[in-house]
Amino acid sequence: MEKQAAKPISKAITDNADQMQQILDIGPHNFDVGMREIRILGRDCRIYYTNSLVDSSILVVMMREFMRFPNKNEKNVNVFEEIKQHLVHQQVEEVTTLNDSIDKMLTGRIVIFIDGESTGLCIDLRHYPGRTPQEPDVEKVVRGSKDGFTENIIENSGLIRRRIRDPRFRCEISQIGVRSKTDVCICFLKDVANPGLIKTIRKELKAIDVDGIPMADNAIEEFILKQGWNPFPLVRYTGRPDVAAAHLLEGHVVLVSDTSPSVMILPTTLFHHVQHAEEYRQVTASGALLRWFRFMAILASIFLVPLWLLLVTNHLLPDFLNFIGPNDKDYNIPLILQILIAEVGIETLRLAAIHTPTALSTALGLIAAVLIGQIAIEAGIFVPEVILYTSAASIGGFATPSYELQLANKMVRILLILAVGLFHVPGFMFASTLFIIYLAQVRNMNTPYLWPFIPFNPTGLFNIVIRRALPTSVIRPSIVRPVDKYRQPAKSKTK
Amino acid sequence: MMAKRRRKTNKKAKHLFAMSIGRTAITGLFGGLFWGLIGLLCYLLNFSKVGPSLIFAVFPYWTGKDSVYGQLIAVAVMSLLSLLIAELYLFVFSRIKSMWFSVSFGLLLWFIVFFLFQPFLHGLPEPARLGWNTTSTTLCLFALYGLFVGYSISFDFEEQTGGSNYSNQ
Repeated sequence: MEKQAAKPISKAITDNADQMQQILDIGPHNFDVGMREIRILGRDCRIYYTNSLVDSSILVVMMREFMRFPNKNEKNVNVFEEIKQHLVHQQVEEVTTLNDSIDKMLTGRIVIFIDGESTGLCIDLRHYPGRTPQEPDVEKVVRGSKDGFTENIIENSGLIRRRIRDPRFRCEISQIGVRSKTDVCICFLKDVANPGLIKTIRKELKAIDVDGIPMADNAIEEFILKQGWNPFPLVRYTGRPDVAAAHLLEGHVVLVSDTSPSVMILPTTLFHHVQHAEEYRQVTASGALLRWFRFMAILASIFLVPLWLLLVTNHLLPDFLNFIGPNDKDYNIPLILQILIAEVGIETLRLAAIHTPTALSTALGLIAAVLIGQIAIEAGIFVPEVILYTSAASIGGFATPSYELQLANKMVRILLILAVGLFHVPGFMFASTLFIIYLAQVRNMNTPYLWPFIPFNPTGLFNIVIRRALPTSVIRPSIVRPVDKYRQPAKSKTK
Repeated sequence: MMAKRRRKTNKKAKHLFAMSIGRTAITGLFGGLFWGLIGLLCYLLNFSKVGPSLIFAVFPYWTGKDSVYGQLIAVAVMSLLSLLIAELYLFVFSRIKSMWFSVSFGLLLWFIVFFLFQPFLHGLPEPARLGWNTTSTTLCLFALYGLFVGYSISFDFEEQTGGSNYSNQ
């Protein structure tokens, strides 16, 4: 819509000033944009800026430079070139339309119009309010780098660039949102990432038609992945630059968006969500062991409770497992209801803990542990086993590295519990089968979600089950369909 | 289908095809092993009355076949059988992309075992007498096995022939 109305910069500075005033309402109605009139070399100039986003100290240095111009032979000099020459900054662009100038000005650049010139000058003096990099809360590691992405896209791509100094590393920037004009950056290795993938992402980003994306990467995800009601996370977010860089080297594409401290890794499969940076920061053997524990915990968070309920209520326990189960059979509430109540209870507790201040959370924990755990059993609402298994399942959930996956797994667990309660063994089997088939048919960016399990890929699965040491992982994962298959440059030359 | 493939013979294609036979063999072995073990688990947890040792039903006089060791040997034999099934799938159906066809393939295998072979398998009751638990468990396992083998093979074939892109549509 803006395109048709692109107004060129007029040679008469008063015209430009009127236009700017009309569009921006500079003054009390729009306090954070401003204008400074200044006379350089006998010409009227106007400097437009957004005062909340500009680094004033540099601007002051620039203005001082302008004021030092000797005002002598102004008739003879080329004023435009002279001014451009004296801009003490490395990032200077020329602009020719008013709309372009306004767009740039509102990102925090300053624009200078000179009387008698139909070209403006635009200098990058952006200085955004923000925090310094700190370790992301959900991806802490014991050992390893403690920096994390911030809300600033420039710092974020800088953090990645610091890890990949390859000239073939690309950061492609574009703006999304007609009103918000949020910067989004596609990062990839030019000679590794699949060109088809990059093309698709470019196309999808271009097709986004929306006024603004204040929720940044999450909004982009909703646009390009078409999630629908599928609760499983189709994309991996990370707040760690080392994880992002590792995936770039594997041939993935990373999407950085301004105002978000996490970046998106594409394409993603389910097994990306069960890995954690910690495993790669430990010795290979310990890393593999950690991973096995994690897998067990995740499987337990889905299957433990439904399986227990199924075995106990249908008297299917084999002889060697006969000790399991509620020993006194005279409980008052049916087991399935007990489990569902416990699930609701645990979830409420977790929700309460999120926004309880630290000072009060000790009290919250105490109430939870003593009152609910102990007394609910004594009052005859729960049998102890229900508490044991639901808690074990929730702890398994907390061990899931991806919060999104944790929630999705919880949903599946509750569905399985209901299926078991209603239809017993057939219910459990059919529900689990449909669950697996459902996940297998999910494809995002044409990547099967359960790869490398279904469809089976021996190398891929081996890399997930056993974490490989870097020197022995010679090829990049085949699912990203990399242009350059080999991780060790000497090998790719000989092939 | 084979004739068509032979006509296009050149060294590279032949080599690629030999490689995909190898990969299919691994897929078949692993599929048999994995789903066999899950089947064994279902048998041990009494979901199903028939375990992997059903494969030995043609030897009615071997009494040890239902012990855990007999079952484990049965899983091993099943993996080998699964290798053959996978190769069969590669030669006949690998061009069919649909995942649902793979699931149906598994269901077809179930039908063959529990209906067509049932009279020859000692100790396997008629389908109507299997009971809901056994029927549902075996049906699901066969469907998942079919999905695993079939989808893996056809996806591999699709990737080899380069018909892949990243479009969401």
